[in-house]
Amino acid sequence: MNRIQTLLLALAGILISSGLYSQTLTGVVSDGSGMPMPGATIVANGGARGISTDIDGRYRLDLGVGTHRLDYSFVGYVKVTREVTLAEGQTKTLNVQLETDAVLMDDVVVIGYGVQRKKEVTGSIAQIDSKQITSVRTPSFEAALQGQAAGVQVSQSSGVAGAGSLIRVRGVASVSAAGDPLYVVDGIPITQNYFLRGNSGAMNNNPLATINPNDIESVEILKDAAATGIYGSRGANGVILITTKRGKTGTSYEFSSSAGFSNPASLPNMLNTEQYLTLRQEAWENDGGTGYVWLPGFTSAGDSPESRKAAFEEAMLTSTDWVNETVGTGVKHNYSFGARKGGDKYNVYTGVSYDDNGSYLIGNSYERVSGRLNADFEPVEWAKIMVSSSLSQGINNRIDAAWSGGLGDAMSNALPYYPVYRTDTLFNADGTIQALPGDYYLYQDEWGGTKNPVAVRESKTWITTENRSINNASIILTPKDNLFIKGSGGFDYMHVREDIYNPPSIFLTSDLGNANRYANYVLNWNYSLTADYKMDLTEFSSLGLLAGSEFQRTDSYGYGIGFGDVTGPIFENDSLLEVANGQTTVNNPSQHSFLSYFGRANYTLKDRYFFQATARVDGSSRFGRNYRYGFFPSLSAGWVISDEPWFESGTLSFLKARTSWGKTGNAALPDYARFGTYSAPDNGILYNGQPILFPLQPANPNLRWETSRTVDASIEIGLWNDRVTTELAYYNKSSQDVIMNVSTPPSTGFTNRWDNVATILNRGVELSIKSRNTVGKFQWTTELNFARNYNELQSIGEYTPDAVSGGTNDSRVITGSPVGSFYLMMFSHVDAETGLPVYLDRAGNETFDYDNNERQYVGDGLPDFVGGMTNTFRWKNWDLRALATFSYGAKIFDSSSKRQLGVVTSWNMRTEILDRWRQPGDEATFPRLTLDETTYGLPSGFPWWNTSLFVFDASYLRLRNLTLGYTIPQIGEGKHAIRDLRVNASVTNLFTITSFPGLDPEVVRDFENAQDRNMSPNVTYLTPPQERAFTLGINMSF
Amino acid sequence: MLKNMKSLRLIAAIAGCTVALTGCDRMLEFEPGDVILAEDAINTADDLQRMLNSNYDVLANLLNGRQQSIAELLTDNMARPYSSLDYTAVWNRETNFFTPTTGGLYTDFYYAIYRANVVVESFDLVEGLDDATRLRLEAESRFVRAVCHWYLVKMWAYPYGYTADNSHLGVPLRTDAVAPPSPRATVAEVYAQIIEDLEFAKANLPNENGPYATSMAASGFLAHIHFLRQDWGASRSEAERVINSGLFQLDSDLDRYEAGSDSVLAGDLINPETVFGITGGYFSVDGDSLLNDRSYAFRDNFRQDNNLNPQLTFSDDIYDLFQLNSADDRGDWIESNGVTHKVTRFDNKQFFNVPIVHLTGLHLLRAMSVVESGGELQTAIGDINAIRDRAFGADLNDLDPTSNAAAVLAAAREEYRKETLCEGWELDQMKLRGVMGEPETVRDAPWDCPGSLLQFPNSSTTAAGFILNDEGGCL
Repeated sequence: MNRIQTLLLALAGILISSGLYSQTLTGVVSDGSGMPMPGATIVANGGARGISTDIDGRYRLDLGVGTHRLDYSFVGYVKVTREVTLAEGQTKTLNVQLETDAVLMDDVVVIGYGVQRKKEVTGSIAQIDSKQITSVRTPSFEAALQGQAAGVQVSQSSGVAGAGSLIRVRGVASVSAAGDPLYVVDGIPITQNYFLRGNSGAMNNNPLATINPNDIESVEILKDAAATGIYGSRGANGVILITTKRGKTGTSYEFSSSAGFSNPASLPNMLNTEQYLTLRQEAWENDGGTGYVWLPGFTSAGDSPESRKAAFEEAMLTSTDWVNETVGTGVKHNYSFGARKGGDKYNVYTGVSYDDNGSYLIGNSYERVSGRLNADFEPVEWAKIMVSSSLSQGINNRIDAAWSGGLGDAMSNALPYYPVYRTDTLFNADGTIQALPGDYYLYQDEWGGTKNPVAVRESKTWITTENRSINNASIILTPKDNLFIKGSGGFDYMHVREDIYNPPSIFLTSDLGNANRYANYVLNWNYSLTADYKMDLTEFSSLGLLAGSEFQRTDSYGYGIGFGDVTGPIFENDSLLEVANGQTTVNNPSQHSFLSYFGRANYTLKDRYFFQATARVDGSSRFGRNYRYGFFPSLSAGWVISDEPWFESGTLSFLKARTSWGKTGNAALPDYARFGTYSAPDNGILYNGQPILFPLQPANPNLRWETSRTVDASIEIGLWNDRVTTELAYYNKSSQDVIMNVSTPPSTGFTNRWDNVATILNRGVELSIKSRNTVGKFQWTTELNFARNYNELQSIGEYTPDAVSGGTNDSRVITGSPVGSFYLMMFSHVDAETGLPVYLDRAGNETFDYDNNERQYVGDGLPDFVGGMTNTFRWKNWDLRALATFSYGAKIFDSSSKRQLGVVTSWNMRTEILDRWRQPGDEATFPRLTLDETTYGLPSGFPWWNTSLFVFDASYLRLRNLTLGYTIPQIGEGKHAIRDLRVNASVTNLFTITSFPGLDPEVVRDFENAQDRNMSPNVTYLTPPQERAFTLGINMSF
Repeated sequence: MLKNMKSLRLIAAIAGCTVALTGCDRMLEFEPGDVILAEDAINTADDLQRMLNSNYDVLANLLNGRQQSIAELLTDNMARPYSSLDYTAVWNRETNFFTPTTGGLYTDFYYAIYRANVVVESFDLVEGLDDATRLRLEAESRFVRAVCHWYLVKMWAYPYGYTADNSHLGVPLRTDAVAPPSPRATVAEVYAQIIEDLEFAKANLPNENGPYATSMAASGFLAHIHFLRQDWGASRSEAERVINSGLFQLDSDLDRYEAGSDSVLAGDLINPETVFGITGGYFSVDGDSLLNDRSYAFRDNFRQDNNLNPQLTFSDDIYDLFQLNSADDRGDWIESNGVTHKVTRFDNKQFFNVPIVHLTGLHLLRAMSVVESGGELQTAIGDINAIRDRAFGADLNDLDPTSNAAAVLAAAREEYRKETLCEGWELDQMKLRGVMGEPETVRDAPWDCPGSLLQFPNSSTTAAGFILNDEGGCL
């Protein structure tokens, strides 16, 4: 009964109060060129909520009698404040023009669990708006962050459709726990598992691929502890907040579309048949062989000279360009439509999109269909309901890549003398026909696999389907002025299903094919409750308080099922699932949860001194009771010096200093790493018919959070009335108790153990500059960001470098070196007299002996500095935007070179090998050719020549994107007018300046697990290069 | 300010309610499914028995031809492997810490040792465990622990007697299940523990215990171990304890690898001369799946009837040895085209029992011990002729009763080498001869060249201070 009374009273209050406002303020908000601005925000008297202009930039406000302060704002424009006095019953018109702003000090930025004026921000936050995200066409939104924010290193994915980027915020601070930033979409920390299917097909799934970039309003990247501290245990590697679009007053529509094509940014330079056979013959003769060399797939070393000669001559008749057989032109097109509608009590945004992104790898594409509905409803002034829901599907038409096949085969085991199709008839031993002319020519690789990249591609069916839905519902109550209580519930659903059908033709068998399905489900629930209160303590000071709690639970499970003797993939034969004879493997559910309490206090003095304290207590199911809860505080302060009365400068228009200290954590490790476990009772293993019980994993009840203590200091400067703005930041992040999945000596009874072992230092500076070089009719703006990060693994306890490795990537943990250091035999030079490789041992002595005990640090994949520069030119309706990204000082380990440029084996080689030693006195890059790995000091049978010879400088400057656009401000009049019709042409990766001799100096290969992802940046292994894409696009609003 | 205080109180009240509603530790309790938590794993005698069974399970997965193949490759018995890179590295005696096959072998031996130690340390977890069961479980566990330590120290360290006081480095000695890694103990320390464990097993186990450890099995291993220690008397004594027990008989034929069938558990077909062995697998009744496969490494490495290019084939040296006397039925174990000498010993066998310690070996060990200790030669000659009668036919190739000690020793060694082909025992003989100062080379390299020892896996070195073996020097 009390509730009903309260509601009635509230409704009456609303009616009464609205009746008080018989004074009206109207007007139009326009930009510097006089164009109306729909969606601009007007806030009266510093209230929490504002109204938005309609499609024509008009607004109408009902206000009380008296003087009112009105704030007009729009993202990317300087906020304008006006005062207006209204007499009783008066109607006034106030038109306002907003100027674009470089500093955006009065803009609102999204922070954890709230928003804040940028001026008040005491932490390090980079804001990227929707235009910056959609201006570069990328397969997945996160790739568009590259070069946009200082200290945010984005390495683009390979050329495989749907592959994800690698993002590191202020370096990598983890070893075995995931080192990626936390992604939060509309307040929900989303599922971000890259390894649901491991690296199947040389590709990691990209959990961000199904997010439609056109749905994004802004992205905020929280970098220091003051900003990330509110996320406590999840914030050590940075936080990326993604805010999607919402409705605004009025009705408006957006449509964009683009179409284009792509080619590889570079191509491998493999040998043709004549070159390969010449070099192979030379190697054979160098090794003392006589006559013609034996040829893989045709002859063996023990065959007679006559047989070898005949095979050699036959091989010379074919020269297949396998690269050309696997690479083509990718066609891509996308369509996105969004609608916004809003009124006094509601607003709605809805968007749908379709994106078909064909890669240059023949047969490979990623299609995404997505829909989003964001709705806000404000039935009463003190309550608002917000709903966000997205539904998307990504269909990845897969191919084998890298080590798994395709272009990878073309760069390795597909020798140029193998034809694509047979020209002869192949008979079985019993005289029956095995293959006819025109059939695929199938060969065997060194592991006995049946190969032919064309045959596999054309015969195999491989589709990965991801269904994803991210949903959030909130209710915001305002029981009192400036008090906001928000309750939210979120649900993130991910279902990734991989279907593979291998037909019999690629196994040389007359049986039917086999079909497999691997399905993974991740269900992620999130609940939070926050209370946010702002109060003025005195005339000059105010206090903002936030308190909240959050609970998150994630369940993952899945299964694999396989069928032999079938004619097609399971999705074409759903009845197969009803057949009992499928071999099914069920992945046991894996669950984890976080329970958190947090608070934030912001104190503002004289609107120029800002102080913030945050604290968060996190509990995680991943840790035992000994260390279940962690406490993560932060303190920060900001001082807008330029607002001091004594500050006078004709040049400096803005000056702000801020500093922070805080502690954040990381708990991104496997759900059950802490448990000591034994096999299940029904493990199915018997000895002598009797069941067995055995230990699986050692317990570590003391496993605890990684914690990072970060100190940050920065200064923000605006010059010449903010025509030039810059920010310079310094940080020092010391990460303790870094979790390592340590390889333990077998004598312990286990091979691995999760433990808090390492200490990592990340220290760096960041510089951002934005300069409006010219204004007026010809506008030229330059945005430059630069980040230098020093990374050092300061301690790994009593362990040795081999305690943790980056999968097969020869990266190790080396005290005093960065995470992700290459640990290889140091190559010195080729001995001019003998043509043999000369190595350096750890003491620096030259030796011909290749000794794994002498492996040492030979470089690392972390750059000394990275950055991006965007130049934007505008003249009349034309605009030209050029984004260049650069990286300096990182090394790349071209891991495939050890076979492509080493011992002559059953791999094709690259043309660089032509610079090899041939006779005494030769100064050559590569040693004498040999078929015998022991010539280089390698163990017999192991042609994997892991030396620093293949560690290269990966510095580069890349013209990431060049876009030319033309905008027609308005076509038509009235409601049906089309505004901001913009057509554009863009090219991605037009050129790259680098000394790296391989395919691409910017590489994200497939990783085996999170540890490998941290440990092995800049390792390439037959990894397809990035694409060069040409796109025509159109955007419009109406 | 008053208004503010009210708001703050409201926030505090909401926060309090929130904490009260969500402050439940149960929300943070998830346990892995389909496994048992360590603290819940062992509560009953059955749990201990199943844990002990897992010791045998590991042992079976090691002695199913994996260990034997590696040991054979280090001797003169085998030709260069067909294509396996790892086996080639072993044959070349150039394993390194990245050689996965030997690393896996090493690791698995310590799995068994760890599990044995867990059993021994877990008795207090089981209420009401009777003393007899406890004693048997401990004895069997220590038996497995000893056997595993012995295989490790034989292959990863120089042999007993390599230094006068055996102070040279052996392998990590693990007698407890604690987490910290162990450095390498000396060979003296490792052997002392092995003997102590086997003596305990010998004293506390029954003579018959199905395919599991027995007192006789302990004696059988002790006979081998004392033989390598050149303690001829002890070796003979242990061998004779088994031989004279009446529990075992020499097989009448040359095939002691008994195969099961789709309806017969191979474990029910234990060869009569098996003192200790591994029970092989069997097909499910429908014949579709192979269960409990404990002989795959023998089958996959050696069989030539279903494989044109088996990995492991006999060396010319072995081929020549059998060419000396064509009447030797064991010559049928070789299928040769004059270049490649394939092994037929496991042909037509899909799964089978694997004898480890057997009566044939013990007879020949006794023969050698008798000669080495200057004992009565007739016992040794009798042992040898018992073996020869089976291989050549009764009395067809008997050793002359008047043969001198050198001839008897040579004959015993030759029979031992032939009988244990593919079983890995010849490696012991080769090393013993080297320790005894006899000129011993393997494929033109000294028997103790650095690479003759398997290299420890890379994971051994992840804890600082572990000393690796030297490498190379054998080619």
